[in-house]
Amino acid sequence: MTIEIIFNILIGLGVLFYLTHAIQLPATDNPADVLGAGGFPIIIGVVALIGLAMITIHTVKEKRKVDIPMLNLRSIDGRMVFINVLLLAAYVGLLDVIGFVLATFAYVLVAPLSMGYRKPLVLAVFASVTTTAMVVIFGIVFYVPLPRGVDLFRDLSYMLY
Amino acid sequence: MDIIIQSLAAVYNPMTLLLVTVGVLFGMVCGSLPGLSTSMAIILLLPFTYSMDPVSAIVLMVSCYVGGSCGGSISSILLKTPGTPEAVATTFDGYPMAQQGRAGEALGLAVTASSFGTIFSAIVMLVASPVLAQAALSFQSAEYFGLGLIGLSCITSIGSKNQTKAVVSVMIGLMVGTIGIDSINGVERFAFEQPSLLNGINYISVMIGAFAVAEVYKNIEEYRHVDTSLRTEQKVKIKLMKFSEMARMWSSFIRGSVIGTIIGIIPAAGGSIASLIAYGSEAQNENAKPKFGEGNPRGIIAPECSHNAAVGGSMVPTLTLGIPGSPVAAVIMAAFLIIGLTPGPMLLREQPIMLNAIFLALITAALLLFIGGRFVTSQFGHILKLPYPLLGTLIVTLGVVGAYSLKNSFYDVLIMFVFGLVGYFFDKFKYSNAAVILGLILGEIIENSLRKQIIIGDGSGMGFVTRPVSVLVLTVAVLTFLWPMMSKKFKNR
Repeated sequence: MTIEIIFNILIGLGVLFYLTHAIQLPATDNPADVLGAGGFPIIIGVVALIGLAMITIHTVKEKRKVDIPMLNLRSIDGRMVFINVLLLAAYVGLLDVIGFVLATFAYVLVAPLSMGYRKPLVLAVFASVTTTAMVVIFGIVFYVPLPRGVDLFRDLSYMLY
Repeated sequence: MDIIIQSLAAVYNPMTLLLVTVGVLFGMVCGSLPGLSTSMAIILLLPFTYSMDPVSAIVLMVSCYVGGSCGGSISSILLKTPGTPEAVATTFDGYPMAQQGRAGEALGLAVTASSFGTIFSAIVMLVASPVLAQAALSFQSAEYFGLGLIGLSCITSIGSKNQTKAVVSVMIGLMVGTIGIDSINGVERFAFEQPSLLNGINYISVMIGAFAVAEVYKNIEEYRHVDTSLRTEQKVKIKLMKFSEMARMWSSFIRGSVIGTIIGIIPAAGGSIASLIAYGSEAQNENAKPKFGEGNPRGIIAPECSHNAAVGGSMVPTLTLGIPGSPVAAVIMAAFLIIGLTPGPMLLREQPIMLNAIFLALITAALLLFIGGRFVTSQFGHILKLPYPLLGTLIVTLGVVGAYSLKNSFYDVLIMFVFGLVGYFFDKFKYSNAAVILGLILGEIIENSLRKQIIIGDGSGMGFVTRPVSVLVLTVAVLTFLWPMMSKKFKNR
């Protein structure tokens, strides 16, 4: 129950932050535009706040227990999800540094391992095939300018796509 | 009669039929890959059309449009990652069906419904396009506002477990939709001087994050404890519907197709709104078994019929008035101009074969969806046989490339990442990710139409209640919102 209340409070703070900015939006020069740029955001922000208050009251009354494995790092499932979130963050962060090919190959190789997959040979083939397919389909066939990375990685990428 | 014979000859020759097949297959593949839209598929085909005669060129692009519109449902059903915005509503019941080991059935429903919707709209268009196009012009801001509200009424069904949380979720979606430049008076809203936020937040990256990435996180913590043999061992073979099954669910086919055709005709409304409204209208039935959101076949039929019917619908204002009925129709309109044809009333007089040929091509493409659908979906079906650690990784990688491909920007990948986490927690606390997407998609049309109508009315909102079409649309919107509550009261009596 506590974790859900904290979650609702966090959303509430976000909505309040949104509302504060909505109120400060400049008024329009057009007198017919009664709502202006801030009117609609204020309406939906207020409705969201009222809804959140109702949900929180209901949560307090209901006392439902919610299991969030990601926040329980003592459990194996929780650790696996948490590590995968970090891996995805690292993958996204590395895309523009080491380029699409290396980052994707490394991610596809490591992520299944973090989920408990233990067939290295299959994994190596899977990572190679997936990376190649992505580069061919998106980079070559559909002309998507996939990230090339910096310095040496950038030069190397031009040999592939 | 001569025109009809010439149109038949223009479409039913080996070369054009080959183009229809290529267009449908190419569209399906592009539609099924997140990040590659139908518009992009048509743009990629454009250079090949320069040397073709106008009818062949347009037939190729229209076929691609039909294939792309249906293709989005493949990844929606198999991976919970809508390939196109039109396929969002298909995810609600399609993915649960795939989880129950009924992926083949779900894909069959999607292909059958898409074909039906396309044929339905093509026939309607062939008979009454000029009249319908004029009628569509009576839609102004007040009516668009009502249309947006009807789309939002979907939350009463997708958030049936906790209506308040669904409402808050939709408000959060609407809030996210207000980020960027205000399109009425150009004020910068909630962008905090970040150039990447000025264009707003693309709902495709939000969708990939909240649906696909969040689902992967959820499955990572569950897959070791859940029997996934149903999903992994069965061969995913598309099961096309029998005529008797279609007859049993005729009302969903007709309702979806009618909604799609009407909304398709309305300029700039498009298939994504059509499919959400069709899903919402279908999901009003609370007694349905299985429940909507838990793998009800009608939850696939209605949106699929609807967004493919919108394909034919969107071609009406494009061809007869020169006003694109959807973003994809705008690309096709540009292709017309490149070929040297100007869409509009004169086109029908100068190129009478063209209109008939396009609608014949739509019907042929719809029929070819069965063959193309069988082929493309069976290839995609192999993915489900992967062990979950590999499948989950593949979904995330595809999501990253899909989000990046939208604008070739890291910012969209970051959005996907953030909404992956948001989606995970929303799912845990029983908020509705689908409602967030709904708010995000419909936010712009609702706010802009509301404000435009008030501006037109010189600060007054009377325009909403003095225009007959607006009154009708708004009444339908209010009724669709209230229907679940009203039906409960009637039952209690």
